Amino acid sequence: MDIIQVTNLTKEFKTYNVKNGFLGAIAGAISRKAAFTKAIDNINFTINKGEFVGYVGENGAGKSTTIKILTGILVPTSGEALVNNLVPYKNRRKNAMKIGVVFGQRTQLWWDLAVRESFDLLKSIYRIPEDRFKKNIKHFYDILSIDKYLDIPVRKLSLGQRMRCDLAASLLHDPEVLFLDEPTIGLDVVAKDAIRQFLKEINEKKSTTIILTTHDMMDIEHLCERIIILDEGKIISDGSTDLLKKNYGQHRVMEIEFQDEFSGLSGIKDIKLLREESCKKWIRFNGSDLSASDVISKIAIKYQIKDLSIQEPTVEDIIKSIYNNR
Amino acid sequence: MTNVYIKLILAAVKSKMEYKFTFGFLVFAILVFYMGQLGVILVIMSKFKAINGWTLGEMAFLYGLLVFSQGITFLVFNALNHFERLIIQGEFDRILIRPLNPLMQVLCSGLEVSSLAHFIIGVTAIIFGSKSAGLEWSFGKLIFLAIAIGGAVLILGGIRIIISAVAFWTIRNRALVHIFVYSSKEFILYPVSIYNPWVQWFLTFIFPLAFVNFYPAGYFLQKSGQFMFHPVLQFMTPVVGFIIFTLSLLLWYYGINRYQSTGS
Repeated sequence: MDIIQVTNLTKEFKTYNVKNGFLGAIAGAISRKAAFTKAIDNINFTINKGEFVGYVGENGAGKSTTIKILTGILVPTSGEALVNNLVPYKNRRKNAMKIGVVFGQRTQLWWDLAVRESFDLLKSIYRIPEDRFKKNIKHFYDILSIDKYLDIPVRKLSLGQRMRCDLAASLLHDPEVLFLDEPTIGLDVVAKDAIRQFLKEINEKKSTTIILTTHDMMDIEHLCERIIILDEGKIISDGSTDLLKKNYGQHRVMEIEFQDEFSGLSGIKDIKLLREESCKKWIRFNGSDLSASDVISKIAIKYQIKDLSIQEPTVEDIIKSIYNNR
Repeated sequence: MTNVYIKLILAAVKSKMEYKFTFGFLVFAILVFYMGQLGVILVIMSKFKAINGWTLGEMAFLYGLLVFSQGITFLVFNALNHFERLIIQGEFDRILIRPLNPLMQVLCSGLEVSSLAHFIIGVTAIIFGSKSAGLEWSFGKLIFLAIAIGGAVLILGGIRIIISAVAFWTIRNRALVHIFVYSSKEFILYPVSIYNPWVQWFLTFIFPLAFVNFYPAGYFLQKSGQFMFHPVLQFMTPVVGFIIFTLSLLLWYYGINRYQSTGS
């Protein structure tokens, strides 16, 4: 079942060209040229219930704009979006009841109130029945371990603590869809890990549909079974993470340490020397043409190998190569 | 449902109480400001026995009406004076993703309890003014006073909503707040009849501040003879309030779809 449906969605922003300097500013106040920039340009995709989708792109690619349309904050210039069969920007309040949103950059909790009080307010706002509220909150205390700072005002929490509370807050009303806009930005490794564990569990146990934008490819690698890649407002790739790896990620990097120092690796076909450092060398080969054992045996005939390791490309490598080849 | 908004208000008040010093200081500052303003009027009145036929007591009554409706407006609509901040910092995003009315959320989050100071000044001026002007109160007059103040609040609140809605297009609206919210009320510290006809026309039909205190005071103090226009205007404050407020809501809901949020 499609829970999100995006058809020919376009959002234009009107911007004004600002001229340089003081005189330019005055000239700009009198007459200025409006320019229209397309933050997103004719986007199409559908997302099924229970999917965990990574929505990836460089800064300004249009990730947040899409999220803001789907959450009802922005009205698109043309095209249509449906979330839970509702048009979010026309049925803002109905849509809001069924979605959860976390912006990594700003909190949705009450800054000067204790975390517990924020939760109580959300309980009334979303009209959450008492028993469900209690059950959810106990669950979140356990897996996010937030019970320690329930009585602390939000402004005194660390970023990691705050983000855990924000996540719990966004899920109190059991939303069908959870939108996460850079939830791990600025967090330390421990906090990131806790949040990833939590998201994974929510997605699996409650089959909450999750859409995640992030610049941290480890988030994507750990969590998302599908990646949509955006570039300058257009979707340039959309598919399962495994398929992406299969299509783009066939190359392997092998790190070899030799017994003796020498330069070059002459006479071996289909491998590329990436860099060398005294006895160590890094080579790249295509996994679909050559197996690792072929490569090793070819090298071992000529040189004495002391140690070696093989690395699969990360999602980050793949996305980098997609950007470089566009 | 209304229950939720009351909880939001309590949360806002509680948040504010976290900063008790600021709260106390603000009450004090407002008191000083309005007592100063009232003082200037008293000084002027001690030099001139009457301004355009308005005695000291009548001037105080006029002023009391303004400050009292100003107080309710400040209590309810104060958040809108800083609305620009919500827009510039993209805080309005958070309001739009909640299943509640956006305007109500903005208002509830900024309820200003320190308007207590307005009520002290306003009530004092109205009581002193009506005593000294020899105004005889009746039940009907009290009812009309309440309705007229309600209308005045709708006018003042409506103006704030309109100015806020402009920010959906222009993002910044600080200058407009200063002109139309803060400075404009200087006009109605005095009876509007002292101004030249163009200004009276402007304050009646374009920017109808005259309905906040001048026209209803005209009823209570029997001064409708001074009106440049039809005497029926003395009863029109609620109607004008209703019109302005309705227009302001239309503009607000039209503008909300123009909200552009911020980058990232």
